[in-house]
Amino acid sequence: MLKDKEFWLVAGGLSLAFIIYWLVGLPLLKEERIVMLLVIMVMSANLIYYTRFARRGGEIFLRTIPGLKAVEEAVGRSTEMGKSVLYVPGIMDMDQVETVAGVIILGHVSKMTSRYETSLNVPVSRSIVMKAARETVREAYTMEGRPDLFQDDMVHYLTDDQFAYAAGVNGIMVREKPAACLYMGKFFAESLILAETGNSIGAIQIAGTASQSQIPFFVTACDYTLIGEEFFAASAYLSQSPELMGGLKGQDMMKAGVTVAILVSLFMRILFDLGLIKWNIISILTVQ
Amino acid sequence: MLWKRQIPILIATVVGLSTLFGWFIDHAGVESFVNDDATQWYDILASFAIFLGALNLMKLQGKKVVKQQSGWQYSLFAIGGFLFAIVAGFIYKGNDAVEWGVHVTSKGTLFKWMFEYMFTPLSATMFALLAFFVASASYRAFRVRNLEATLLLVSGIIIMVGRVPLGSSISSWFVMYLLVLIIAIFANIKFKDKKITFGTLLVGVLVVTVWGALLGWPVDQPGLFYLPVLQDWIYNNPNVAGARAIMIGIGLGIFATSIRYILGIEKSYIGE
Repeated sequence: MLKDKEFWLVAGGLSLAFIIYWLVGLPLLKEERIVMLLVIMVMSANLIYYTRFARRGGEIFLRTIPGLKAVEEAVGRSTEMGKSVLYVPGIMDMDQVETVAGVIILGHVSKMTSRYETSLNVPVSRSIVMKAARETVREAYTMEGRPDLFQDDMVHYLTDDQFAYAAGVNGIMVREKPAACLYMGKFFAESLILAETGNSIGAIQIAGTASQSQIPFFVTACDYTLIGEEFFAASAYLSQSPELMGGLKGQDMMKAGVTVAILVSLFMRILFDLGLIKWNIISILTVQ
Repeated sequence: MLWKRQIPILIATVVGLSTLFGWFIDHAGVESFVNDDATQWYDILASFAIFLGALNLMKLQGKKVVKQQSGWQYSLFAIGGFLFAIVAGFIYKGNDAVEWGVHVTSKGTLFKWMFEYMFTPLSATMFALLAFFVASASYRAFRVRNLEATLLLVSGIIIMVGRVPLGSSISSWFVMYLLVLIIAIFANIKFKDKKITFGTLLVGVLVVTVWGALLGWPVDQPGLFYLPVLQDWIYNNPNVAGARAIMIGIGLGIFATSIRYILGIEKSYIGE
């Protein structure tokens, strides 16, 4: 646990610097947000630690995520049927982390489609997403040694409007009948319209989103759904890169930390309500 | 390599760190960057990029029409709609009394007409389709296949009935009689013995009847079996607990992913 001397040296140095900064009165810092700053620092340090741990060859166990295992199966099915793979990276722009995660998963999916020589169709609803997704797909095809299979029009723009986009994607589904439909990104009310249409054409459907209110719709209409954090773990899972897998372990440790914090806060709050302590932990933890 | 790899990562790191830590710094310049400048830069970039999107759309639809690919007739509508919106937005106002710019929201202009009588009804039509899709999806989700699906079905029914006026008219004693019936069905499935089934039913009905007679059959008592109270409990307790667990996972996922981008650990977005 304490083998990474370099990490502990830097962490110790930064902690010391922060203590000195604290002693001089925290100039230029919004003091009401200090708890959040400390939490971010600790969580970031935890992520960096486990990333370095994995990079040094530390063993990381990654449980099987059926939805991600099924991605290759879906691409394979499309290849066997001679049909295309439809990839929908959500309806929001690149300033949303879910869209970025969706574009990154697209990179892994396009590596598979280039390997299997399967056609890929990526309708997008934002111009910047179109450019980013196109570059990602181009890189993936080049890295797989099949730049000849890449076409600019694989990633194409439809419209910025939510329901017009849903209508456009539905049209593509009904006309071209792709064998696999993948929805990875940020979705709103159009999620069920897309997923039900995909279901009606008999496509294998895999969805991944962090839009909490859309998860039940995808669970109902799709074959596999990546729920919340599984969606963000997809890149690590598909690439099997030790650095990214280390980050996942760090994420799990953060989850354990949050669980402990919830239990401790509950206990402290009970003590406060009973009048046994004078300070309310909830007011300290509340984001100002 | 430098322009395609190191420089983009450097930009992501510098902008990401300054936006993240800018939130904690008490300085007007930094605050203005975090709250206004950074988002405005993005808006400026996005507004230039819209041309790329529009050109791509026209190129693809035009190609479909020229090559008469399958469904090319729909592309005529796409091109026609695009050109019509450009004319209504930039060339012909349809009402000379209105200034350019405000014509997109003013009554009596071609753009407003297009928005009100073409765009809005079409969007509403797509949104309305959702009702039918919800029905078909609910049918699949609520089929009794296993214990989880059954629990979902029962909770769904309680929430749906408990949230409408009819639900508050259903006496909690009626729900209790229903429960007795369900328990008797389970007893029958488990023991396959008529005596046990009948005994369970009889004891249950007797207990509920005596209890009801003693309390005077109040509609909303005991509250545990009154549908509006029950649906409220399901909605605010098991439902919120599950939703919060997912939210915590999502929050940590977003945090970890963002830190990976900012620190350059995740480089898939530049093709690595």
